[in-house]
Amino acid sequence: MSKTLKGITLKGSAELVAEFFSFGINSILYQRGIYPAETFTRVTQYDMSLQLTTDAKLKNYLTNVISQLKEWLFDCTVQKLVVVITCLETNEVLERWQFDLECDKTFFLPDQCKYESIQEEIRSVIRQITATVTFLPLLETACAFDLLIYTDKDLEVPEQWEESGPQLIDQSEEVRLRSFTTTIHKVNSMVAYKRTNST
Amino acid sequence: MDDMEDDTTIFSTLKSFKSLISCPDRSLLETEPAFGRSGLQNLYTKRVELEEAAERVRSHTNLLQLTQEKQQMELSHKRARIELEKEANSSSRDLQREIDRNRELLLQIRRLEEREEKANQALNEQMENNKALKRNFEELHKKANEKDSKLAEADQVCVCVFCISVCRKMKKSMPEYNCSFNIKKLSLICALLPLICAVRLQELERRLALQEQDSVIVKNMKSEVARLPELEREIKRLREENTFLRETKENNSLLREETEGLRRKLERMERAMEEKLKVEKPEDLSREVIQIQQRELNLKQQNYTLNSSIRSVEKARTELMPEIAQLRAKAQEEQKKRENQDSLVRRLQKRVLLLTKERDGMRAILESYDSELATSEYSPQLMLRVKEAEDMLQKVQTHNTEMETQLSKAQEEAGSFKLQAQMVSHIHHHGNFLLKIEELESERQQLEEQNNILEMRLERHNLQGGYDPVTTKVIHLQMNPTSIAKQQRTEEVEQLRVECQRLRDRLRKIEAGGGMTTDDTTLIIPPSQEILDLRKQMESAELKNQRLKEVFQKKIQEFRTACYVLTGYQIDITVENQYRLTSVYAEHMEDSLLFKSTGPVGSMQLLETDFSRTLTGLVDLHLFHQKSIPVFLSAVTIELFSRQTVT
Repeated sequence: MSKTLKGITLKGSAELVAEFFSFGINSILYQRGIYPAETFTRVTQYDMSLQLTTDAKLKNYLTNVISQLKEWLFDCTVQKLVVVITCLETNEVLERWQFDLECDKTFFLPDQCKYESIQEEIRSVIRQITATVTFLPLLETACAFDLLIYTDKDLEVPEQWEESGPQLIDQSEEVRLRSFTTTIHKVNSMVAYKRTNST
Repeated sequence: MDDMEDDTTIFSTLKSFKSLISCPDRSLLETEPAFGRSGLQNLYTKRVELEEAAERVRSHTNLLQLTQEKQQMELSHKRARIELEKEANSSSRDLQREIDRNRELLLQIRRLEEREEKANQALNEQMENNKALKRNFEELHKKANEKDSKLAEADQVCVCVFCISVCRKMKKSMPEYNCSFNIKKLSLICALLPLICAVRLQELERRLALQEQDSVIVKNMKSEVARLPELEREIKRLREENTFLRETKENNSLLREETEGLRRKLERMERAMEEKLKVEKPEDLSREVIQIQQRELNLKQQNYTLNSSIRSVEKARTELMPEIAQLRAKAQEEQKKRENQDSLVRRLQKRVLLLTKERDGMRAILESYDSELATSEYSPQLMLRVKEAEDMLQKVQTHNTEMETQLSKAQEEAGSFKLQAQMVSHIHHHGNFLLKIEELESERQQLEEQNNILEMRLERHNLQGGYDPVTTKVIHLQMNPTSIAKQQRTEEVEQLRVECQRLRDRLRKIEAGGGMTTDDTTLIIPPSQEILDLRKQMESAELKNQRLKEVFQKKIQEFRTACYVLTGYQIDITVENQYRLTSVYAEHMEDSLLFKSTGPVGSMQLLETDFSRTLTGLVDLHLFHQKSIPVFLSAVTIELFSRQTVT
């Protein structure tokens, strides 16, 4: 891919970030048990083994979103990506995985920034996502997830997309996770979960 | 009329003046002896004033006269100006007309001159043509002569040719011996002759053509030349006209001037006629004209003199204006000085008055002392007093100086205090500044804290997923897993509800129908035989129940009545484990005994009631001592019975 390139271009950076999101979302879905574990298959990425879904509908949905996101990353019009996990019985939002994007449009091509360092950072972020599962409350009921994208107000919304609310959690606890940067795009990760009555 | 009015005013003023003069004379004469010197002086002053007044009046009248004359002069001047302007306009118009006429005449002259020139040119050309023609003519003549000569030669040649032909004939007849020379010559000549003839023929033809052309030209030229004398005549005529017109132009200008002069004279005459209604005699006219001229001259002189006087007066005025300003300034300064001087004078007068009062007082004192001490010597006392006065003076002076020094000190101190106050105020300001700085510092800290708090809140808000709706919006795919899952859920719920409803309906129908239902349900119904058996069993069981109940009821009722009759007490169970006994012989319906069952053994306890309180003796005896309820009960019945039977 861009291993052979010495520097990073805007297009390359957008592709990197979109790829990270694709694998990250899959990890979250697997770890939180939104979809049954048997619908996931193991793949190797960023020198680590990750889970990727085999459900055709889910795959289709994810590719749609990620491809559109890549475009918007290239235009630097996207501000956040949020994975919202909702309980189906009560229609309450239980978890929110939020990824803030900062786009530096005045970029130049530095030679110091290498693919390997970015990969290392992405690896640490995904590992941390896996680790956070240990302290997140169990999702006992059947849940579904949704992907929200925060964009600039004046962006032209494509046909199949619609405006929605932010779907905030009522009484949430927030944890800030690691971030990684490609010198053009900076991704800050955080997770918010609904406070349980026992805590 | 104006003159008359002016004269009347003059006369009136003179009369008044005379009256004034006459009146004070009488008054002065009358009052002379009384006043004496002062009266004379007054008279004199009055006389002087009167004379001054008279002079003023005279000058005023002169002024009035002069102004009137000036006005008149101005009026006449204006009239003369207007008339002059009219004349000037008319003369200008005439001039314009004359100029136009002149121009037209000049144009005509020019045209005629041009024509003359053209005619001259034509003449010259004609002359030249003439000369040329003459030359041509001469040339033609020469040519003609040449041609004649040539013709003569040609005749000779023809003769020769004839001779040659004759000779040839002769030769033919005669053999060639004598005429070889001649033959050679003749042969040469014969060879050349045709050429020469041809050439000469051509030349002659050419000359003929030229001559024909020249003859045509000559004819034209003749006609043109014939025109020459006519042209000369025309030229002569034009020149005469030119001279005539020039003379007339000069005459015109002269006449114009004459007409202008005459017109002016006419107008003047007409004016004179209008103004003065005198006999139209030439002498009178001339006299009047002379008079008018003289008047005009006089008026003009007066006008000039007045103008010059006016100018001089204006100059003097302008010169005097700055002087007047200076004098006014000086007067103001003098006034101010005078005022200052007056104030000083007043002060001095006041002081003088005070001093004189003091002196008088002192004098009075001294005189009094002197009067008191009549025999004693004045001088030592006076010396003493003088010394005392001097001492007092000195003291007063020292006191004054001390006061002055104190004043100065006080002023200095005041100044120093002021400085100090300023310093203090500065310090105060400094203090204020310091306070302000402290306040600002504290404010800053507060604001920093607030800022930190707000930043934390913002961070929190951001973490929780909040956003600024003005700049950002949240979008998601319409067909997202959550919405799909929710949809499925609602569909499932709907399906389940529908199934439930169907099952309920089916159940109702089954219960109601009780047989094979023709519903299109997928439930397996048990065979109807069992249901019927069960129903029969149920019915029989119910019947049995019913009967048992009835029997039980009957039996219970019988038992209870038997108990009542036999024991004399009606036993009711009011509450669980509580039994109410009502005696047959009770006096009141409410009288009852309550017993509670304390354990499963069957022991009873009596509870307090109103009725039991009336039976305390029996209770003590039978329950407490004998501990037997049946005895107590029987005792109670006996008691009640005895009560009833006795009463």
